Amino acid sequence: MKTLKRLFQFISIYATALGLLWGAKIIYGFSDYLIPPPLEVLQVASQNGLHYVKAVLNTLAVAIAGHIVAIILATAVGLVGRLNTWPGNLTRTAAYNLQAYPIVAVAPIIFLFLGDGLASRLLIAAMICYFPLLLSFIGIFAKPVEEVEHFFRITGRINWRLELSIRTFENLDKITTVIVGSGTMALVGTIIAEFLAATNGIGYIIRKALYQSNLAKILIALFLIGLCSSLYLSFIETIGRWIKMRLYGTRSSPYKHI
Amino acid sequence: MQIACRNLHYTYPEADFPVFRNLNWSIEGPGFFSLFGLSGTGKSTLARLISGELSPVKGHIDIQNAGRVLYAHNTERIPGWDTVGTHLRSVTQATKTSLLTNILKDYGIAAYMKSRFSGLSMGQKNRINLARYLVQEFDLLIADEVLANVDEPTRNQIIERLKTLFPQKTFLYISHNALEVARFSRTIHVLSHESTAGTNRIHKIDGLDQEEGTEAPEELVQERVYAILRSAAGNSEPRL
Repeated sequence: MKTLKRLFQFISIYATALGLLWGAKIIYGFSDYLIPPPLEVLQVASQNGLHYVKAVLNTLAVAIAGHIVAIILATAVGLVGRLNTWPGNLTRTAAYNLQAYPIVAVAPIIFLFLGDGLASRLLIAAMICYFPLLLSFIGIFAKPVEEVEHFFRITGRINWRLELSIRTFENLDKITTVIVGSGTMALVGTIIAEFLAATNGIGYIIRKALYQSNLAKILIALFLIGLCSSLYLSFIETIGRWIKMRLYGTRSSPYKHI
Repeated sequence: MQIACRNLHYTYPEADFPVFRNLNWSIEGPGFFSLFGLSGTGKSTLARLISGELSPVKGHIDIQNAGRVLYAHNTERIPGWDTVGTHLRSVTQATKTSLLTNILKDYGIAAYMKSRFSGLSMGQKNRINLARYLVQEFDLLIADEVLANVDEPTRNQIIERLKTLFPQKTFLYISHNALEVARFSRTIHVLSHESTAGTNRIHKIDGLDQEEGTEAPEELVQERVYAILRSAAGNSEPRL
């Protein structure tokens, strides 16, 4: 239901934007070369649709892979960053300083070293969504949930696994929101990488369309990107809800045998 | 069991005023004792200092013949992934299972074992939280407004039952209810209102130590309540 709502929202926004674009074309008398008429957009869609769908799926696959890499890495580093020892302090300081740097600016260096293939796109996608994830995870893992943890601490039952379970469970909505937000960033990162130098994916197609000044192609590409992005984000939200339902329904507890 | 504070000073980091200034105070258990005082006089801070959650800025706290000190407060929750029953069973040692069963029955919460904590009323949450502390090993249990949301008749029953079940344990019960502490405590320790200078004295008032099946005379209860409120207001006339 939420997926449909998200799709409907996207399609509504897209249709409104197209309406405004064509409205401006009529009012100001822009040429067909600058703003293609609806029929031309439909023709481009029927001629290139399949090719574009393949390209956007390629981009989405890279974005998802990069997103997963970033989540795993941010979780692992976040576990270190929550500690009050020197590795924890160092990780936090490094994370706070590095996140201030625009990662896209180092993308050309990545292409120089790794070429214009999959590795560069994957790395840029992962790097772009990694720091927001890391900062959120450090914040969540390091902040005690005093009302729940107090009993376990004072009775000597607390350990790092239980602490993490409590903090993760209590912040599940926040974690889902951060992961959904970073999913968009992973997609943005992949498209930027493709736009900059890659030879695959929907970003590469947009770059070519830009060189040809072909707005119809760009509009089709944007539509497919929005569609895929909506579906992917809905998928993550569904997983978040499913995990929460599973946890609320489970009868096992992580401190049973402590 | 004895707790003694010697020249205790405590100020919260970044606070402008101390909570305690040169405080000397002691209690000797076992028994049911109360800490009473107006808001902001330092009852919970003292509880956290005794339980070791906070460290004094100056002075020290000696706790003798008490192996384990527990501190419970009324905003605690159990993890959301468990039902109440699963949680209680998982934090109760095998030797205390029958005690848990009795407590659940006596406190009127046996029916909620399959419920989620978040779905219970505040009073039910308070009772479940207290129950899980009572089935732990402890010598001193500091109960900080743990029954704040429970109705008065049930609260009285719970305290009476607690005193019967644990005659050899020490309880330090923090409450804003003068009637309750006057009736059930062996001694009421009243933290007086000391404005911004910090609390430096705790007055001791004998309570009526009412046990299960007995009833303290009403005029004595009223007399104690008056003494407690007067002491809490810094020996000025209490506003009744």
